[in-house]
Amino acid sequence: MIEIGGLTFDYPGHRALNDVTLTVASGSVTALVGPNGAGKTTLMRCIAGLETPLEGRIVVDGMDVIEQPREVHRIMGYLSDFFGLYQDLSVARCLEYAAAAQGLPDDDIPDAIARTAERLDLTDKLHQLSGNLSRGQRQRVAIGQAIIHQPKVLLLDEPASGLDPEARASLAALFRQLQADGMTLLVSSHILAELDEYSTHMLALRDGRMLENRTLKSPHAADEHRMLHLALAQPDARLPEWLKAHAQVVLKEADACHAEFDFRGDLHAQAALLKALVHEGYTVSSLAAHKENLQQSYLRSVAAHLEGKQ
Amino acid sequence: MSNPEFKRNLWLSFSTHRLAAMPALLGLTFLAAALADPQDNVAERLYGAAIMLFIFIVWLWGARNANAAIVDELRDKTWDQQRMSALSPWTMTWGKLFGATSFNWYGGAMCLVVVATAGFAAGKPDVLANAISLCAVGVMLHAALIALNLHTSQFESRVIQRGGMGWLAIILVFMFMPAFSLGDQKPVHWWGMEISHALFWLDTALLFAACATFAAWRVVCNALQVRTRPWAWPAFACLLAVYLAGFARGDNSLWLIGLFVSVAMTYAALFTEPNTLLRWRKLRLLQQRGDSRGWLEHLPVWPTTLALSFAFALLAMLTSSGPQNEFSPVNMLQPQYAFTIALMLLRDACILLFFSFAPNGKRAVGATMLYLLVLNMLLPFLAEVAGLSTVRFFFLPFEATYESWSSVPVMAVHAAIALGLVRWRLRNNEQP
Repeated sequence: MIEIGGLTFDYPGHRALNDVTLTVASGSVTALVGPNGAGKTTLMRCIAGLETPLEGRIVVDGMDVIEQPREVHRIMGYLSDFFGLYQDLSVARCLEYAAAAQGLPDDDIPDAIARTAERLDLTDKLHQLSGNLSRGQRQRVAIGQAIIHQPKVLLLDEPASGLDPEARASLAALFRQLQADGMTLLVSSHILAELDEYSTHMLALRDGRMLENRTLKSPHAADEHRMLHLALAQPDARLPEWLKAHAQVVLKEADACHAEFDFRGDLHAQAALLKALVHEGYTVSSLAAHKENLQQSYLRSVAAHLEGKQ
Repeated sequence: MSNPEFKRNLWLSFSTHRLAAMPALLGLTFLAAALADPQDNVAERLYGAAIMLFIFIVWLWGARNANAAIVDELRDKTWDQQRMSALSPWTMTWGKLFGATSFNWYGGAMCLVVVATAGFAAGKPDVLANAISLCAVGVMLHAALIALNLHTSQFESRVIQRGGMGWLAIILVFMFMPAFSLGDQKPVHWWGMEISHALFWLDTALLFAACATFAAWRVVCNALQVRTRPWAWPAFACLLAVYLAGFARGDNSLWLIGLFVSVAMTYAALFTEPNTLLRWRKLRLLQQRGDSRGWLEHLPVWPTTLALSFAFALLAMLTSSGPQNEFSPVNMLQPQYAFTIALMLLRDACILLFFSFAPNGKRAVGATMLYLLVLNMLLPFLAEVAGLSTVRFFFLPFEATYESWSSVPVMAVHAAIALGLVRWRLRNNEQP
């Protein structure tokens, strides 16, 4: 859905994006992660056509953003990290303006407002002035403005900042729902645990360079390659050596009680491993797939990057 | 309603209370004007009062609202949402131009009805022309403020934080107000033609209203990432030169006026456009790729009027028949110095680029102005006081005691040094 090639963006005295090349799959929810100053906001603004890069090409749904920014805006929604609302307009009018400004036909606008308000739990707030809403409600109105025209691509820069846990949970549910509807989401946030709930892909940036762009695996996926965690009820010093000798195991860390390893086999092979462990006399208390969370994944990317630098 | 931006502005500008209050207040004001002096001609007094009220409501108050149309969007951080919309630049432009000022036009329309009625009743000449001129000046003021605020916002955010360029409206109002004075209005002589005062001001106001609206549209285009090529700025310089030269006497005054208009417009653009090293690196990159369309789209506008200044300078010198003291009492305004002035402009542009390309180029405009003051005033003054007239001539080569041709090589040396400084800065300040 989004293809970026050789993207370079400079600020005075500072290169914000350095030859970034990436693709974002259609229908994915990509977590854009990285420390402050990594270039996340600049990347989003370039994709949104709000900034012109020094070099590079950005294509969204087959359209060149630099050449056809207005056409791209019709299929794109963007929520800035510092968004604003028209304080003196009611929520309904804010949504009506956004719908009309995105080119929705007049006849479709009332339905679009009702649908968006319902989706964001704003139906009972439609006649309130947006300036009188709470931070969380304002955030929902801003998201509503970004999605009212049902864009194919939605860019969200720190959408959950300043929201309480309940509002964050409902936001996560909304993003999952939007993904289910076929929308492609690119979400940046510092709160990786929150992104973990709904992201399917991770895009890590650091110092304007892309560290990693990969799919995040589901813990239940019956694929041929996944991380397993083993725990014993009774310590057994033989465990690390026994696992090391197993053909399908690539040991990551192990001691007498626990082990974490990469297992190359399907669910039947995993069952056979468990059987063999019990047969060998290990008191297995658990053997479960261990999903690497976004935080771990990101830190592993950073560690690999720093290792490569040295 | 096909323009969402216009509609949004109507929502914000009108309420039932405001709809009723405007005619009520205007009605009371006109009643007071009519009853102020029963001996006097009521129609004449209403005509004058309606013009003054129109100037206040549409020109001044409307200018404030047009100013806020951009300043508020930027300050309240809603501008990105507008830039992300699918609205065309023209829809956005007229939506803001007439939407943000819609309440002022509502009041202005009532004033115009009184202008027309009272004007005809009092037997005033050119009532219709004056009414249209009043409207055209209003549109010009509003469009100019939208264009200027958007233009300066891309370079200097402090202008927006300080409330935009609204102060400019006050200057323009005082420039145009005499045109609507109630005294005897003599015909205007322009390009050898005698044109009635009202008709001339009508044409002038319509011309500049069209130019300002066009400028607002062009600036909105750039803000919405719809790229344009920089032909309109030099075209406006030519238009302004032709307009102003209509008042002058002298064979080659068009070229000389064209030169000074181009110089003034170059300085105006130079000090208000972003001239960062990044922009020039982008231009170099586009040039290396042979992308002439992209190069023109990213080029600042000031080099276009700088080039035009050299063209006008050459024409002024080629058509000159010696000093024209009648038109040009100051030495540097004489045709033989035309090329020197163009070179001086090139030098000053290079000085600004030298400071803009510095690692911390944020204060480039202030530093340039300071050094230009030193170069053009302080150093020549010190040389004069010290009795070093040759040194003074080297700094400011516009003295009648020296051959006028000698000013060209002196200023060429200035320009060459400034160009050298820019090249040095470019070599030493490459991005990572």
